[in-house]
Amino acid sequence: MSTRRPASRLATPTPAAAENGHNGERNSVVLGPNDRLVGQLFIEGDLRVSGSVDGELEATGDIEITGRVNGAVTAYNRLVVGSAGSLIGSDVHVGRLTVEDGATFSGKVTMGKPTAKEPMPVEPEPVPEPVPVAVVITQPEKAKGKRR
Amino acid sequence: MDVQEAVAEGTASVDNGEVKRDGKKQFSMGPGDILEGRLIYDGSVHADGRLEGEVRVTGNIDVASGATVKALLEGSNVTLKGAVEGPVTARDKLTLGRNARVSGDIQVRRLQIDDGATLNGNVRMGDFEHQASGQ
Repeated sequence: MSTRRPASRLATPTPAAAENGHNGERNSVVLGPNDRLVGQLFIEGDLRVSGSVDGELEATGDIEITGRVNGAVTAYNRLVVGSAGSLIGSDVHVGRLTVEDGATFSGKVTMGKPTAKEPMPVEPEPVPEPVPVAVVITQPEKAKGKRR
Repeated sequence: MDVQEAVAEGTASVDNGEVKRDGKKQFSMGPGDILEGRLIYDGSVHADGRLEGEVRVTGNIDVASGATVKALLEGSNVTLKGAVEGPVTARDKLTLGRNARVSGDIQVRRLQIDDGATLNGNVRMGDFEHQASGQ
């Protein structure tokens, strides 16, 4: 994070955040037509749903819905609801939005600042680093206090 | 706003801007036109320039990309390409073009949002009661 960022600008999603897949590629998760999810899902990358979801979806990249989703959806970048797709969302936070003709879509749409939300739920917990213990070894020749 | 006065303004513009296309009435505003008030119109409306108030039509509403609209819009097929602030009802289909900037609640039967469009508001799809055409 740059320290030179002007204070007046809002934090914008960084595309690099989605690149946590293998070999630095963009991570992509697919829920196929026969797949079903009940609960919450956070993806660092893209998400494609052609199955059914009851719950909350959040992705740092794009979300494409060609199946059925009931619940809140947050796409830091782009949300596409395909012509056969259905999104009944309480809250829809997206950077960009495309709804194809024929799609079912309802919910409260907020665009433009998708990252201004609660911290990511799956953030790895910081490993407590061992507190460096000052070990004083008497070195008669280098007693000037400089540590290597 | 005084409704009577506003309607009178609208009517005057109807006389100026009315064009017939395919035997259907169309009320067409140019980029320099301004409409403030309430327009109930049996036909379609092409809105450009500045539009404030309320527009309810039996036909379609088409808002041009350079237009600035702060109004309640209600029509069969509604196509928005400009900046619109206010509730929008499309009895059939609402299309947001890629330059559309829409802020307001939306009620539609069908919806198409092109990539690049901006929308902030509640979207309701389906079940149309009389609620929209009343008042």
